[in-house]
Amino acid sequence: MSNNSILVIGGGFSGLTAALEAAEVGHEVFIVEKMPYLGGRVAQLKHYFPKLCPPSCGLEINFQRIKNNPRVKFFTMAEVVSVSGGPGNYEVKIKIKPRYVNNNCTACDKCVEVCPVERDSDFDFNLDKTKAIYRPHLMSFPMRYVIDDQVCEGTACAKCVEACEYQAIDLEEKEKEITLNVGSLMVATGWVPYDVKKLIHLGGGQISNVITNMQMERLAAPAGPTDGKIQRPSDGAEPKRIAFVQCAGSRDQNHLDYCSYICCMASLKHCTYIREQYPDAEVVVYYIDLRAPGRYEKFLHKIEQDEKVLMVKGKVAKIEEEVDTGDVIVTAEDIMGGVKKEEKFNLVVLATGMQPSVAVEESILDVPKDDHGFIIGGEEKGVFAVGCAKMPLDVMTSAETATGAALKAIQTVRR
Amino acid sequence: MATRIEPNVQFIREMQAAGGESLKKCYQCATCSVICPLSPEDAPFPRKEMIWAQWGLKDKLVNDIDIWLCHNCGECSDNCPRGAKPADLLAALRNMAYKSLAKPAILGKWMSSPKYLPQLIAIPAVLFLIVWAISTGLRIPEGEIIFAKVFPTLAAIDPIFILVTLFVVFTFISSIGSMFSSFKASGLTPKEDAPGIFRSLIMVVKDEIIDHRKFKECESNQDRYPGHLLIFYGFIALAIVTGTIALFYWTDKLFGFGMTTPLALWNPVKILANVGGIALIIGLIYMTRSRLNADTRNAINSYYDWYILGVIWVVAVTGFLAQIFRLADTATLAYWVYYVHLVSVFMLFAYLPWSKLAHLVYRTAALAYARQIDRRGFDE
Repeated sequence: MSNNSILVIGGGFSGLTAALEAAEVGHEVFIVEKMPYLGGRVAQLKHYFPKLCPPSCGLEINFQRIKNNPRVKFFTMAEVVSVSGGPGNYEVKIKIKPRYVNNNCTACDKCVEVCPVERDSDFDFNLDKTKAIYRPHLMSFPMRYVIDDQVCEGTACAKCVEACEYQAIDLEEKEKEITLNVGSLMVATGWVPYDVKKLIHLGGGQISNVITNMQMERLAAPAGPTDGKIQRPSDGAEPKRIAFVQCAGSRDQNHLDYCSYICCMASLKHCTYIREQYPDAEVVVYYIDLRAPGRYEKFLHKIEQDEKVLMVKGKVAKIEEEVDTGDVIVTAEDIMGGVKKEEKFNLVVLATGMQPSVAVEESILDVPKDDHGFIIGGEEKGVFAVGCAKMPLDVMTSAETATGAALKAIQTVRR
Repeated sequence: MATRIEPNVQFIREMQAAGGESLKKCYQCATCSVICPLSPEDAPFPRKEMIWAQWGLKDKLVNDIDIWLCHNCGECSDNCPRGAKPADLLAALRNMAYKSLAKPAILGKWMSSPKYLPQLIAIPAVLFLIVWAISTGLRIPEGEIIFAKVFPTLAAIDPIFILVTLFVVFTFISSIGSMFSSFKASGLTPKEDAPGIFRSLIMVVKDEIIDHRKFKECESNQDRYPGHLLIFYGFIALAIVTGTIALFYWTDKLFGFGMTTPLALWNPVKILANVGGIALIIGLIYMTRSRLNADTRNAINSYYDWYILGVIWVVAVTGFLAQIFRLADTATLAYWVYYVHLVSVFMLFAYLPWSKLAHLVYRTAALAYARQIDRRGFDE
């Protein structure tokens, strides 16, 4: 007999949507999320398209739907280790890493106060630090702290265990493995920002005031490392001239040989972040072509009206640091003017592209992928790719692919 | 004002055939113009050449001085996000200039494709066979190996190569004239206070040719700097040797002092000849290696590249072998190898204006002109 349950790998926006769509028509759904929280990349943004909502908006509704729906079960810090069987009858082994913090946690922060160890915050793209025990982020779901066992000194220290009034911390927690039987799989593993260190000519990872678009999101996010103030990483100064470098790694056969779809819109969105805080700041957007899909074109036109936002056609191919001031010198050809120019900025944002997580991380899934690592098949096996595991997309379209895939998964398990 | 563009489709195909096969892949991001250390601030290359090429704007391209400012390091192609190979397009445009700038046009055509190689070889091959037939009746002469026994200096070698030299010089004078008028046609005219062409020429030689400065600015293709430098100075050494020997031949004839070939191995002129020859071969190894190792994703090697490398290889190798066989006293081998040497030297010099080696003259002249119009690299 075929199994009615569905497994969703990845608890970002598309994974949540896919899970809820299937659960709300009566299927048991399991979400397996690698991170200690649900919400994925959207949780890291200040605003997201199409309506420029803060992430709390869409995510909180989905978290409510999960809480209220007994058919959805989710595992954080969990990864699929093996898949056997076939459509309608899969056996999936899941490895759950120890979180060391149980349900008793009230997020009182006492543990953080006593923890002596610091780590770079991956959630903030290393713009900030957390303690070894930390809250994943301000509106983390589940709202439970977590310990980074790569840096935690363990039972030898145990200051947090003493500080915790709720017996929420167990430093001896071990990794668990569970087995799930499902009829179909949805792969919503999402994307990772392209490794900026590979962009040598653009000073990727070398120049402190050259940041990525995702770092910009964290700088601008109210709960981010600077409490939402956009400032230069080197000295915390307010930037007066800011450049956006489009296609940083995208549309480039030496890096990502495809368009990442949404980085143009993301940079234009960042222009609104800047304008909100700095009415007089000058912005230059260097582009090859501007991609404003569908109705986003209106948004592009709106930004183009801004007199202090200059769009320059010409890809930036050289970025250097001015050592004394920390300013950044950007070289590009202004194609329309036919002039090669060096321009100085206080802050430069690289619009780095999206790479499918399944292309860079080890994956035990046996599904066909294209040259770039996007999943292009597996449907006959009852495995359905969703969102950015399939192609670079915005949040809205990711959710649409999730709904479509949920229907296909349901068809698979009901057959 | 709207401009009506008339694409010259035939010209696009010619560029693709001459080495610019990927030109249509360009999507005009201008990475190339930025990355090129030699590209100027105003109207930088090669991004604009790429769009002219895609649109088939022949007039713009045939009058473009920038194809000569490029030193073909390939950095633009290495960094091109699309594999459009702008360096290859500029090389193709130069190849097309070699083909069309100098007259007679038939030689340009013959030099553009390997299918005409037989006639190009046949001309000197027959010529020197005739010389050999007249001198010794195609026999290997007895006694000490002296190449002049078969190919007499006064009766054959000097007249042939003096005529070749005059032919090449006049060809270049006329083609540089047309090159300069094409630059003027593109609107580039030296200002009144610009240095004269000869002063510019001296500046170019002093400032960039002697130390090969511009080759060093390139991060890609590091083999080219030592390779080109060694071949360049190898040829200079050999030119000095040839000039000295010719001079002393005549002083010997006219005034009774001088020297005649073959020279002893310890003779300074001979030493210079051998040092030059060795420099040539080491340089050839560098250049050939960089051609063979070229990442085909980023660069192609055209017939023009292989012709010139091949001919210089034959010149250098037969030059050494002729000397070795002469010293080893193996007459048949020595004379025949020397014959091949003469054929290859003829192919190097008589066809020079239509070969890639013509860049020696065209690029130098264009660089001098660029100084007159003050067109210099972004960082210069």
